[in-house]
Amino acid sequence: MSAFEFNGVVRFTKVGTVYLIATVILAISAINTGNNALYIGVALMLGSLLLSGMASKGGLKHLHVDVGAMGEVWAGRAGRGTLHVRNASRLWNIRDVVLTSDVLAEPVLIPLVGRRQTVTVEVSFLFRKRGRAHVSAVDSYTRYPFGFFLKKRRLPVTSEVVVFPQLLGGSASTERFRSTSGEQTSANRAGTSSELHSFRDYARGDSLRHVHWKKSASLGRWIMKQTDAESAKAVHVMVDPCLPKHGSPDDFEEMIAAAATFVWHASRDGFDVTLSLPRATFRARDGEAASPLFRALALVEPAYEPVHQVVDRHTVLFTLGGQHDAKSA
Amino acid sequence: MTRRARELEMLLLTMFAAVPLYFTYAIAGTALILFHAFTGLMALRVLLGRTPELIPASIMRWVAIAYVPFYIIDWMISRSAIAASTHLVLFIAAYQPIESVHRQNHAQRLLTTALIFIASIATSTHITIIPFIVVFAYFVFRQLMHVSHEETARSIGHEYGEAPAGRAAGFYLAGAIVIGTLLFPLLPRLRNPLVRGLSGPLAQSATALSETINFNDRRAAQGDATVVARVWMSDEMRARFTPLRLRGMIYDHYENGEWKQSLRGLRQVPQRGPQFSTGTAGGHEGPAVVEMRPQRGKVFLPPNTYLLQGPQTLYEGPARETYYTYDDGPLRFEVRMSTETAPLRPSRPRAQSGYPISPAVETLARTIVGNEQDPARKAALIEQYMIRNFRYVPNDQAAEPITLERFLLFERGGHCEYFAAGMVALLNATGVQARIAGGFYGGQINPLTGYYAVRREDAHAWTEVWTGTRWMTFDGTPPTQRPGATQENPLRLYAAALSDSLTFFWDRYVLTFGLGDQISLFEDIATWSGETIATLTDRLRSGSRTIPMGNAAMVLGAIAGAVAMVLLFRRRRRRLFDVIASYLAAQGIAVGPAMTMEEALRQLPPEAAEELAPLIVMYEQETFGATPDRRRARTLKRKLAELRT
Repeated sequence: MSAFEFNGVVRFTKVGTVYLIATVILAISAINTGNNALYIGVALMLGSLLLSGMASKGGLKHLHVDVGAMGEVWAGRAGRGTLHVRNASRLWNIRDVVLTSDVLAEPVLIPLVGRRQTVTVEVSFLFRKRGRAHVSAVDSYTRYPFGFFLKKRRLPVTSEVVVFPQLLGGSASTERFRSTSGEQTSANRAGTSSELHSFRDYARGDSLRHVHWKKSASLGRWIMKQTDAESAKAVHVMVDPCLPKHGSPDDFEEMIAAAATFVWHASRDGFDVTLSLPRATFRARDGEAASPLFRALALVEPAYEPVHQVVDRHTVLFTLGGQHDAKSA
Repeated sequence: MTRRARELEMLLLTMFAAVPLYFTYAIAGTALILFHAFTGLMALRVLLGRTPELIPASIMRWVAIAYVPFYIIDWMISRSAIAASTHLVLFIAAYQPIESVHRQNHAQRLLTTALIFIASIATSTHITIIPFIVVFAYFVFRQLMHVSHEETARSIGHEYGEAPAGRAAGFYLAGAIVIGTLLFPLLPRLRNPLVRGLSGPLAQSATALSETINFNDRRAAQGDATVVARVWMSDEMRARFTPLRLRGMIYDHYENGEWKQSLRGLRQVPQRGPQFSTGTAGGHEGPAVVEMRPQRGKVFLPPNTYLLQGPQTLYEGPARETYYTYDDGPLRFEVRMSTETAPLRPSRPRAQSGYPISPAVETLARTIVGNEQDPARKAALIEQYMIRNFRYVPNDQAAEPITLERFLLFERGGHCEYFAAGMVALLNATGVQARIAGGFYGGQINPLTGYYAVRREDAHAWTEVWTGTRWMTFDGTPPTQRPGATQENPLRLYAAALSDSLTFFWDRYVLTFGLGDQISLFEDIATWSGETIATLTDRLRSGSRTIPMGNAAMVLGAIAGAVAMVLLFRRRRRRLFDVIASYLAAQGIAVGPAMTMEEALRQLPPEAAEELAPLIVMYEQETFGATPDRRRARTLKRKLAELRT
């Protein structure tokens, strides 16, 4: 939006520049001729110019913006939300206000905010990176009332949002996360019976009935039994946050994005997804929202030391240790 | 508002901007009619739901190219760059709506309309231009709001609904008028000494008075309410010097069938400082103020004036005891009058006017005066005789011009000049020197402002009689039939007074407002402030409980305003160190006297420190560098202000 990028807080528009030149010429004519009719014109034009500046400044000065409800926000993908724009001025209405920000997918236009009124507008947020994002300011612009000036004011906003990791797109990604139900029902995969199939770590929401007490006691943490029927519709995803010396932050982000994409596809296909991170495990059962998993992935930070995690043979592991791709252990 | 309605409004606004040009005669009416017809047809097309493309744009472009040489021809033919340029602007205004079908040019059209508007107001001097300006400004504001909306829509790349702008335009119009009214008296009135202005003198009104009186010519004077002078007098002065007379002509001899003035050129009026002496005082005296527009340099003064102040130049002439000035525009005289003003240089007037007095007229005169010997008493007798036995016939009701002889002996009816000349003839017949004086009589007192408004329709002639030391005024015209004697409807009278008050305000405080008025305004404000403060101080010291609250409020308001201005100025003039320290204080860091900005910077959170660091570098360059740079300081302050927001 180059039209709104400029230094300072005010810029003369083309219309304003022409108006100013016309006013100066008229003023010179008035002084030169002593014609008071021209002086009336000059006084009125200067009055309009002054009033225009006062109106646009007065209007923007009293604007307040609050971030309203925001749905799931994914890095690199526009998400819907609302902004509440309040005009606290007792005098000035303000029109044609454009709001821009690094976190807004596109400029937001508000045709009119009456004095002492609040307007709620639907907006698209766009965050580049996953994690905890702070929306600290929104720039407001207006040409109102006469289009002589483009006025700018930075409006402070206090809002925090957790941005989920970027979901990888493209055909390769689709193929990579294609549903493989045929393969998953192979002999070494969990069957449909209620017999014990494998063990896994406790995840929030697990019933205590499935705790394997003996193993839990020996390992010192909660270990859950997993039956054939559960395992057939379950995916265990583990993310190793260790960033090796040869790895870059971008590689790490890509790995997190890959893990999130995997979880998203698995969740969409109706699998129970268990996500294991070094100090927490999250689970999304069939039909449940996987938001806690994505939230966890959004907030995971790279670790610079190896992290101990237990991997079984059915775990889908995302790590930068040796290979940069997902692998099964 | 729909696109069609907006287009229609724009076209009508352009047409409206040119309307005053019909009345100011700045350009030929033909060009204006052509312009209005063309634009009107375009407006009609728009009204019918079509585009304003009256002529295909491709053809209009060729016409526009052809207009360039025509502009030069037009300039040469009209010998006026202003007229040719106004024609050009009208052409552009007619061309642009056609162009707008293919190209967005709303802002340019508004500019062209504004140029036409400027041409209109630049050549207007009548108060009716004010409602024109107000209406025009209202619609221009609406259109400007639309332009602003369009520009915003273009900048974000898509159209969106426009909120109604009518009320907002009204609001901004009121604000602009208030600010404009405050600015108007403050704008500098210094004329460019190198290039004089292009505008001519203000329109002058003429009187119904002629240079000579010829009874063979039919007078065609019509009722004209144009004010030619305004006179302020105290109640005491009104009692002594009304009905008011303003004299500008003296017809003192009869020659070749006409009553004529004795022309003798212009002579300097004796001056003491800024005061001009026109006579010697006698009897009761007092001041008055006369404001008038000289009629081709001729000044009309009360006959009893002996001293006046106000004009830069004043000459006696072209006839004796008439006055002339080279000053331009409406003038304001402070005059002193006395009941027995005598000429400054007494000289014996003509023994006789030269009017051929017939035996019948002489007989009539002798019959009227009898054995009376005193010139003033003779004049009074003749005056009374004429008032009782003659009747006033207005100019427009007179059947045919008649001779003075016929007026005196047979008709016994005519207009004021017959009465004045008849009285001179009768007085001459009895050996008394007399002359006809021409000017204005009476006037109407304006109940709203307290001045006498003297109008063109108050033109009158009367008689002046030489008593041996001074001229005395007599008037044979019946008083009930003199100018202004007719009773008018009070409502109409008040309406006329209101209209005249507005015109007076317009003339005095708008059209003729100049550098002198600006100086007077500031002097008045300073004097008023000084007096008010002194009064308030005295009352406070004396413990008086009655303090004029209005004055006190105004003084307090002025002091508060001045303090606010000083604070604002000081705020703008703050040192860079203070500005940055203030910013850091807002961030919770108190910059002590022993602390450097670098140290303060280290206390900030990393993100904030990163933003502020370049500004600190600029600050150090500015403060400790070899050459201070104002631009750098301004940039620093601006960026700091941005950080604050």
